[in-house]
Amino acid sequence: MDYKYIEQLLERYWEAQTTVEEECLLRDFFKQEHLPSHLERLRPLFHYESTAQEMCLGDDFDAKVLSQIDERSVTVRYNTIGYRLRPFYKAAAAVAIIFTLGMAAQHTFEQNSQAEAEQNYNYANYKDTYTDPQVAYEQVSSALETISGGLRASGMGLQNDTTLIKK
Amino acid sequence: MINFKADVLPLKNRLYRLALRITLHTGEAEDIVQETMIKVWAHRAELSGPQSAEAYSMTVCRNMALDYLARKESRHAALDDAAHEQADNAASPFQQMARQDGLMWVGRLFDQLPEKQRTVMQLRDIEGKPYKEIAAILGITEDQVKVTLFRARQRIKEQFEKISRYGL
Repeated sequence: MDYKYIEQLLERYWEAQTTVEEECLLRDFFKQEHLPSHLERLRPLFHYESTAQEMCLGDDFDAKVLSQIDERSVTVRYNTIGYRLRPFYKAAAAVAIIFTLGMAAQHTFEQNSQAEAEQNYNYANYKDTYTDPQVAYEQVSSALETISGGLRASGMGLQNDTTLIKK
Repeated sequence: MINFKADVLPLKNRLYRLALRITLHTGEAEDIVQETMIKVWAHRAELSGPQSAEAYSMTVCRNMALDYLARKESRHAALDDAAHEQADNAASPFQQMARQDGLMWVGRLFDQLPEKQRTVMQLRDIEGKPYKEIAAILGITEDQVKVTLFRARQRIKEQFEKISRYGL
């Protein structure tokens, strides 16, 4: 049997030039029972590489780790209410924005109409404030008296000022 | 989304072999695998998928094993005898014994390599990982992985040549 290919592979193996597949091939090759003596000496190396792959942890390891990991978070995580409602988050956000904008628009609109009502100078739109004419008369006369009082006081002040200037 | 039982737990034996190759201590290696898994699970939100979970787990495992080495001087003991499989039944008892001895000797040879070299040998020759993945796990470039692997294999080759010249 010609071992040239294997020898070439081995050369490349020592030089770290082989691929993962070629290294697998070498390990498989060295599993066969009869090898020429110059290759037999390398059997332990590739046999070791194959057997070391099978080294495992004990059976009780899983239980030990799982007891330390929060089991609920392993399986229930997908079923939380928040996770299920996730597709609706955007829709809810859009509704909230429209609602807020609507509220703001309504508020400004109401403010505008209130201001308009306060600045209305059309006498035809005026309404009576008092039902009893006597009370209305008294209110008007007291308001007029206050105005005339004010005017008189300011007139007196003015007279004083002119006499002072004349002096 | 990472699932513990499907994506993290199946890595246990690979992590164990790596931790054992670095620490050379079975009990310590098992503890390191456990701690690694707890840490990986705690950081699951940062992982993009099962592939990154594997690379991340291997990195965490190696770092924890290196921490152990830094804390305690490596004893450079041989790996467990239980790790070595029975040789072919077709071989004679004498051949079987010789092969078992050979395997133990190779195991010691691997473990006597400097840490970086034996980690690269473990990941490449035992786990069959491509250079790219090994580079990601060790946090070095692919070229550095190749150089490290080259040195490790050269050293092993030298030992084999010594044996063929002088015997075990």
